[in-house]
Amino acid sequence: MRKAIALFCFFSLVLCLGAFRADAAGKEIKIGVIYPLTGPAASTGQVLLEGVKLAADIINNKYNLNMPLAKTEGLPNLGGAKIVIVSGDHQAKPDVGMAEAERLITQENVVALIGAYHSAVTATASQAAERYGIPFVNGDSTSPTLTERGFQWFFRTTPSDQLFAENFFQFLNDVKKKKRVETDPVAIFNENTLFGSDTTKFVEKFAKQYGYKVAGLVSYPAKSTQLTSEIQRLKGFNGRVVLQTSYVADAILSVKTFKELNFAPDAVLGNDAGHIDPEFVKSLGKDANYILSREVWALDLGAKKPMLKTVAEMFEKRTGKPMDGSSSRAFTAMIVLADAINRAGSTDPAKIRKALLETNLKADQLIMPWDGVKFDQKTHQNVLGKGIIVQVQGEKYHTVWPFDLATKDVVWPFPKWDKR
Amino acid sequence: MKKGLCLFFVFVALLIVFPLFFRNPFPRHLLIMIMMYAVMSIGWNIIGGYGGQVSFGNAAFFGVGAYASAVLLTKAGLSPWTGMAAGCVASLVLAVVVGYPCFRLKGHYFAIATIAIGEIMMGLFMVWDFVGAAVGIYLPILPQSFRNFEFHATKLPYYYIMLAMFLFAIGVAFLVERSRLGYYLRAIKDDPDGARSVGINIRKYKLYAFCLSAVLTSICGTFYAQYVLYIDPPSTFGLMISIDLCIISLIGGLGKLFGPVIGSFVFIPLVELTRVYLGSEGQGIDLMLYSLIMIAVAILRPQGLFGLFARGGR
Repeated sequence: MRKAIALFCFFSLVLCLGAFRADAAGKEIKIGVIYPLTGPAASTGQVLLEGVKLAADIINNKYNLNMPLAKTEGLPNLGGAKIVIVSGDHQAKPDVGMAEAERLITQENVVALIGAYHSAVTATASQAAERYGIPFVNGDSTSPTLTERGFQWFFRTTPSDQLFAENFFQFLNDVKKKKRVETDPVAIFNENTLFGSDTTKFVEKFAKQYGYKVAGLVSYPAKSTQLTSEIQRLKGFNGRVVLQTSYVADAILSVKTFKELNFAPDAVLGNDAGHIDPEFVKSLGKDANYILSREVWALDLGAKKPMLKTVAEMFEKRTGKPMDGSSSRAFTAMIVLADAINRAGSTDPAKIRKALLETNLKADQLIMPWDGVKFDQKTHQNVLGKGIIVQVQGEKYHTVWPFDLATKDVVWPFPKWDKR
Repeated sequence: MKKGLCLFFVFVALLIVFPLFFRNPFPRHLLIMIMMYAVMSIGWNIIGGYGGQVSFGNAAFFGVGAYASAVLLTKAGLSPWTGMAAGCVASLVLAVVVGYPCFRLKGHYFAIATIAIGEIMMGLFMVWDFVGAAVGIYLPILPQSFRNFEFHATKLPYYYIMLAMFLFAIGVAFLVERSRLGYYLRAIKDDPDGARSVGINIRKYKLYAFCLSAVLTSICGTFYAQYVLYIDPPSTFGLMISIDLCIISLIGGLGKLFGPVIGSFVFIPLVELTRVYLGSEGQGIDLMLYSLIMIAVAILRPQGLFGLFARGGR
């Protein structure tokens, strides 16, 4: 009997506490977040999740930052409701991503989803969201196909690989104007797996569109240990600019071979990946100087965007890791989604979708080097996204384009090997 | 034996009524995955369990099944059911082409060769533009119908299609176990030279077993493609798929009819539930717990879980 009474008291207490807690928390808005939290990309997944969590913290509490919802607590149009993150792990497997999306939607009753980093998983998870009519905001998958599916509920804030390829030519045009130099013709040098050959497809398309002549193209197997004959051919094209897509080992090897063959075009413009790998500058040392590469984000942007610096410092304080292109994009996806929910003034999916379509964030409200966030009404791709170009100067990466965000002036042309 | 049969019918009846009680998509998805892995493991068990030829390349058949139907659907507009048949044919051809030379290899060397086969298929599909290379294939979203093998509103049809495939696989394994093929395979496993000396054509029967294994895996590939509606080489040809099949058969009980079934009813929920309830913060606790259980099974019941469930089973 005594035991029964004790048990009864205990459960009553738990119930009271539960009720109290629900009361104190006020209204909650559940957001499902799907990332690869274990498996081969676990470390990236963790960083992405931290980016989203930091954004939720800024939304839920008062911070003096010029971004949507920072200065208020919670979502003001929903009576100060707080964002609650429910995370799911997809382990980089498309079928798991789909199941997690379904589970979060039907069992956790999330009002919207964010994810999923791997393009393959984003493909299946967003399909589940589409089926249930739940908004899905993607901040970090760059496969162009994702926004070509004509989905109603899928929104992408990050630029796709296609846009990044277009950036090359916008950059070359800007340099041409600013430095009064010729940037035509270009030569293309790429590794031959999907990454390299896809980029090359887009580069060729945009070269035509921007009126650039392609002097020649050399593809090489990514695992080459010798690039001498390929680079000799490349040299023979006499292109002013070399547009290169490589992984890290071949990026390093190619610079060494450039030097050996005394090949110094006006610019070598790399495409992310190998050219921004920490190993690249470490193993090339001074020889890496003046190489250019595309990037999605850089810490030194903080010099021109103080808010970015503040957020990056908050991130580093929370996690002990520096903010990077992944976490900053995940962060931004959360801000964009919360802003839309707040404007919708409701958790009704259709209203959130409508608000997402009306999203119009300005460049100074973001921590990204973008012109803003505004979705194409048909594809739901953010049309104001932009990559940046960095250059190695003094063995460090510095943002050199877009010019208004640059921390260093671009060095053009690439100095000859014997004159540096 | 009668008791065993009764148990089996109760089990099937429970599976049939399961979706009536569980209306959320997640439990249904879980059961679908369990049965899919059960079908593939039953396939694996025919060659690996009865025949003792450990294959780490069965994902190749899964991928071929998935790609055959997806390619025929996207390029020629053929129904995935036709694609499933085409996938079986392609898998059979692959099984013969691979099996014929590889069955010359003994023991570990066969296992090593099958790893290579799986990885070669993956590499091939990664760069083959016609089948979408590394981007993979997005299956078109068609009006839902049995012919289109696509259902959007509910998972129920997928569930019952899988259940039918599951019963089919059990039927196949049952027949194999009782047939001459089954006895030959066990003889080959126990003592290949002895089996040869009594006149069993070792290579022929190993090939038969491999072909059955290929077909059961291939139909799951087609099912997977239609279920997830997106395939790419890592998710269909991945080495982990082959390894999972091997683990499931091992923890369930090698060379037993219901070994792989028990294995997948234990293994898949273990993986999925630990991930859902412990893995969402990404601390890896789910994986630790899961490995601990696996180690415990390996130490405490190296012969598999089979005997725990069906005492007196062979």
